[in-house]
Amino acid sequence: MEFKEGRHRILMVSDFFYPNFGGVENHIYLLSQCLLKLGHKVVVMTHAYANRSGVRYMTNGLKVYYVPWKPFLMQNTLPTSYGTLPIIRTILIREKISLVHGHQAFSTLCHEALMHARTMGYKVIFTDHSLYGFSDIGSIHMNKVLQFTLADVSQAICVSHTSKENTVLRSGLPPEKVFVIPNAVDTTMFKPAPERLSMDPIVIVVISRLVYRKGADLLVEVIPEVCHLYPNVRFIIGGDGPKRVRLEEMREKHSLQDRVDMLGAVPHAKVRSVLNSGHIFLNSSLTEAFCIAILEAASCGLLTVSTRVGGVPEVLPDDMTVLAKPDPSDMVDAIKKAIRILPRIDPQEMHLRMKEMYSWHDVAKRTEILYDRALRCSNQTLLERLPRYLTCGAWAGKLFCLVMIIDFILWRLLQLWQPDSEVETVPDFKRTELKRG
Amino acid sequence: MADPSIISNARFIYVNDNHKFHPPHSVDSHHIIVHRSVVKPIVIYLIALLLVAHAVFLHFEKGEPVTAVIWSFFFGAVLVKFFIWRPIVKESVIIMPEFGVQLETHYGSGRIKRRFIPVSKNLKPVLNEHVTPVTCCWCLSLLIRDENELTLVFKKFRPPLKMLVPIWKALCAATDCKESFEFQEDGQARGLY
Repeated sequence: MEFKEGRHRILMVSDFFYPNFGGVENHIYLLSQCLLKLGHKVVVMTHAYANRSGVRYMTNGLKVYYVPWKPFLMQNTLPTSYGTLPIIRTILIREKISLVHGHQAFSTLCHEALMHARTMGYKVIFTDHSLYGFSDIGSIHMNKVLQFTLADVSQAICVSHTSKENTVLRSGLPPEKVFVIPNAVDTTMFKPAPERLSMDPIVIVVISRLVYRKGADLLVEVIPEVCHLYPNVRFIIGGDGPKRVRLEEMREKHSLQDRVDMLGAVPHAKVRSVLNSGHIFLNSSLTEAFCIAILEAASCGLLTVSTRVGGVPEVLPDDMTVLAKPDPSDMVDAIKKAIRILPRIDPQEMHLRMKEMYSWHDVAKRTEILYDRALRCSNQTLLERLPRYLTCGAWAGKLFCLVMIIDFILWRLLQLWQPDSEVETVPDFKRTELKRG
Repeated sequence: MADPSIISNARFIYVNDNHKFHPPHSVDSHHIIVHRSVVKPIVIYLIALLLVAHAVFLHFEKGEPVTAVIWSFFFGAVLVKFFIWRPIVKESVIIMPEFGVQLETHYGSGRIKRRFIPVSKNLKPVLNEHVTPVTCCWCLSLLIRDENELTLVFKKFRPPLKMLVPIWKALCAATDCKESFEFQEDGQARGLY
């Protein structure tokens, strides 16, 4: 095999990938591209989207398996516990995978893939991208599933220290196994406008999904107040969602049609141009594990005003951001402060600082260290692994052990039906560079 | 050294007849034949016979109505049809340079289904990875002009890659298109991006 020593063959698994756009999707794609540049082989596995089913190749030879399992709820594949075992086994053998990396606690495909990969003896890594609650019924069930998956994971990654605390409490994982590797931003794509905008009017940009979780209700209170206090301030709101109606009503009620622009859903490629038309970026989320949106805004040279929730305080230095409690009056004060310090901000200097601080190549290198660590963990048999599941709970522990034993038996039966040697491995394609004349 | 015109595995045998016709290389045929067990048809015929015999015995000795015998004939026929006549025993690709490609499917009952694709309609042969909810395998298909879907060369068989590659190379040569990947003996492939 041509593969150099120390190079890994990684399978990224998640329900969330291109053609969807979002934090998790971008993270997987950009991390995979940087790992490919470092010389590793990366294969992505996700479910089929509409007509997009089968094998596709993306930039730099990133191979994506769109497995034809229909999503049933909020982009997630139907959880069948053992249904995905044959296809996951086939992909792991034919691509000669050494390591499985699952993303996002809310992805059923990720949990199933990690479970089957552990049964088959592969090392697994899990990355958690969001914060979740503890008290509502959905969270309780999901946390139990997370406990099961993470009981036997080799390493886990969280995107901020707050997220690490949240994941450790939800899953009961020992903190030594969890590593913090923050997200990053593509600073080559998010650049400030070449010419600095004039200070009149001051434009405040909001780009987010207009849902409860992202604090759309706070915006409804804050915007009229700010418009009343500062006659030279305008708002640009990009994004769509169920709360859009409330914002439109607010606009009508206070006659702010000429001062508040609603752009609707903004495609990812246009986000930069929308950001470059503003001075201040407003983020009103009620919960955020990391918040890549403020990184993108800072990379474009905007001063950020945000709610002090979750992992947001860890993202930017104090002179690039003004934080507030998720309360309308506190947020209005924060915007007042931001408008006061705005003349001192230099977008180009902010962009250069962001370039130094955040880079996907750095994230890839740190993840590679984790992969090396995971592969050094010892191989364990089923009997050695079962006691870890027993700690999940009085009844749950025994149930999880039973699930793993059945998975093991099914795997052995599958090996009898179709031995590993019968699954054909895929040849490694070497890329020759096109010579440009 | 093994004859390069024959490759076999547990399920399939691949045979390439390039030398049968004169002048050589005028017609190139590739066959994929499934391993046939001698025992299976004997057992199926025996079971069908036993079924009919049992029904006849029940009719004459125990007084069962004649419908029982008719049903037993019917089930016996169904058994024979599904296990002996219906399965495909051989799939062939016959390449006639300058004319086109003929795809043949041979059934257990002796029936042969043929499809001819003229060279003008044939755009390119491709080796695709076919992903199903439970597995992933290689399949050889043809891109046909004016058709939205790929035409599978082998309708039912899923032969291994080592059998598909020589057929694909022969099809590429016949349709006069450059192979975009060079396949080497050790399974490595070089490609242009």
